[in-house]
Parts: sequence; C-alpha cells; structure tokens
Amino acid sequence: MQDISSQTHTACEECDLLIAVPAVAEGERAECPRCGHTLTQRPRQGFERSLSFALAACVFFAISLAFPFLTLANGGIENVMTLPEASIAIWREQDPVLAVIVFLAIIALPIALIGTIIALVTPLVLNKQAAWLPGVGKLMFGLNDWAMVDVFVIGTIVSLVKIAKLATVILGLSFWAYILFAICLTASLSGLDRLQVWKAIDAATP
Amino acid sequence: MNYPANTAAARGLALCHVCGHLDKVELHECSRCGGGLHLRKTDSLQRTLALLVTAVILYIPANVLPIMNTVQLGKGEPATILGGVVLLINLGSYPIAAVIFIASVMVPVAKLMALFYLVWNGYRKVPASGIQCTKIYRLTELVGKWSMVDVFVVAILVALIHLTGLLVILPGPAAVAFAGVVVSTILAAHAFDTRLIWDRMKEDND
Repeated sequence: MQDISSQTHTACEECDLLIAVPAVAEGERAECPRCGHTLTQRPRQGFERSLSFALAACVFFAISLAFPFLTLANGGIENVMTLPEASIAIWREQDPVLAVIVFLAIIALPIALIGTIIALVTPLVLNKQAAWLPGVGKLMFGLNDWAMVDVFVIGTIVSLVKIAKLATVILGLSFWAYILFAICLTASLSGLDRLQVWKAIDAATP
Repeated sequence: MNYPANTAAARGLALCHVCGHLDKVELHECSRCGGGLHLRKTDSLQRTLALLVTAVILYIPANVLPIMNTVQLGKGEPATILGGVVLLINLGSYPIAAVIFIASVMVPVAKLMALFYLVWNGYRKVPASGIQCTKIYRLTELVGKWSMVDVFVVAILVALIHLTGLLVILPGPAAVAFAGVVVSTILAAHAFDTRLIWDRMKEDND
C-alpha cells in the first residue's frame, strides 16, 4: 500500500474517489476524473482580488443602508422606503418570523459574510500569522449559503414591475448601491476556493 | 459496509465536514480545524427525508393561503402565489409572470421531486448511475435559494406600499410558510450525501 496522507491526497467531496492532489497553478482548475466535481481552483491573484472586492462591497453596503431604497409617488403623496424597512415593515405587521428571515438573508448575513471575508483574507494577503483564522474560515464558508443578496436584487426588479401600474416608483441611490454590493460580493467569493483557502489558513496559523 | 477500493473510505480516510481536510476517521475530530469526521454524513437519508416531508407539509399552506393581502380603500383582496402569476399574465407582464412561475412554482416542486428521487436511489440496491444522480444533486444545490424571490417581493411591497387609508399591502400567512419550504429544502440538500449512491455502484461501471 502506497503512502497516503493529507499532504499528497484528497478525496472527492461528491463521490469519495481518492485522488493525488495535482499541483494547480494560478488560473487553473482541477476536477474529479470520475464525477467532474471541481476539487480546487486558483483564480489569478485570488486573495488580493477577493479583498479588494470585499472592501468595495463594504462601501456600497454602507451607502445602501444610509440612503432611500425606493420612493413611491402617488398623487402628491410620497412614501420613502429604506433597505432595513423591507424587514421592519413586516415586523410591524405582526409577522416576526418572516421579518427575521428577511433581515438575516438581505442584511445581517451579508454583513457578517463581508466581515469574515475581510478578517480572513487580510492576514493572508499581508503574509501575517493570526490565531483566529480557522474560526473565521469556518464561519465564512458556513455563511456562504445563506446570504441571498442576488436573489433580493431580482425580487426588487419583480416588485418594480408589479407596482409600475399602480404608482410611480423612484429608484433611490441605495437601490443602485445594493446592486453594486451584490456584484462585488459575488466577485469577492469567486476568488475563494475551499481547498486553497484552508491550505493558506493552515500555513498562516501560529 | 464495504466501500469500493478506490475510495478514501475504504482506507479509513474521511474529509472533514467543515474544512475538507483528509484525515483518519478514527481521530473523530479533524486535526486541522476540529470539525467532525465521518466516512459519510451521519443518517443522511433519514435526515434528508425528514426535511423533505417538512417541506411538503409547509408547501400546502404556502399555496392554499394568501401570500399577501392588498387593502384598497378599506377593501381587502388576498392573493395566493398562483393568483399572483395569473394577475401578472392579465396585466401583460409575461416575463415577470414567467420569473415568478419558475421561481415559486416549478423550482420548488422540481427540487422536492429531485431530492425524493435521490433519497430513493440511496435506498435502492441498484441505484441509477452515480454521475446522473450527482448532476441532479448539483442542480438542486444551485437553484435552492432562488425560490426566495417571491418572499422578497412581498417584503418590498409591504414596506413600500403604505398609503394609509388608500392602499396598504399586508403579508399573508403563505409568505412565512413558503420561506419555510425554501429553508427546509436547502437543509435537505445539505443533509444528502451523494457518495452513498457511488458506494452502491459496481466499480467496473464507474
């Protein structure tokens, strides 16, 4: 039996085929020969890119919280809606569970996700050691599935069409900022491959 | 259980659930991040099935009860998910009607059916091809969160349309039930282990 260790081998997450990890250069991708699952990929300047997009996403998110999201105008009456109000209004209408789900999916978890990306990637880019990297890494990959920023953008567009017949809707600065936030968050996450991130965390944990 | 010889499990090696590190399963805890080590996700089929049944049960109120209630000049007009699609068709907004129909009706049903099919294959003595099941699984993971679109549309309409006395939109009980369907199917997809299907395949027809 040949020598098999985590240094030389990995298993496919989806079909459990034991595979000798190939050396993956920047811009390359390795997939499982049996089921085609992407084992790992290394985007060019992945970590640097992730960090810059995460910082940009932070700025856009701050803007989208501070300004009007949509404004409804109907015969002289104006109704301004901010981003957090998507959740607060439901809370006021006695549906706390739904309000919490919406708040988590579009505000709280995306903020936490951006925060963990920055906390994780900054030391990796600067070649610094940090004891909290494994904890932050776990949190980041766990949050990944539950932030629904992109879905919310589509939901907003659908709502606009539904309202268009009833009243005039003015798109606020926050609306545009949230779209840019969604794009930056997606771009930031695309630079983070699980295998590569954990390899880097391993090397940077004292 | 005998695992096929080309798998990591056959050598007593498991991927950490959290960080994907390949480790000896008898350690029980990952030597890199402390996450759990199991050859296969524990009670995968039972858990997936339980979450699917939950989703099916929630799916009934999600479609029968109104998702929102439009109150115009004191007169309420509740609308179900399908009612909303019909309304959009009557308004002539065909692309948006298609988005809502696909995201809120087709995707959840297709996803439930796909996951039931996968669980059934997990129990069968001779399952369908591993590659086919793995592809179906990847699709269910990919589309999972997009069904939340309708819930976000409700959130935005409730927050934005609040012209007291003239026109108010209130969330209906179906909204939270539908969010529950989405969350439980995402959890069901997480609980499912595609490797169980590969384990039952003969090695010579990999």
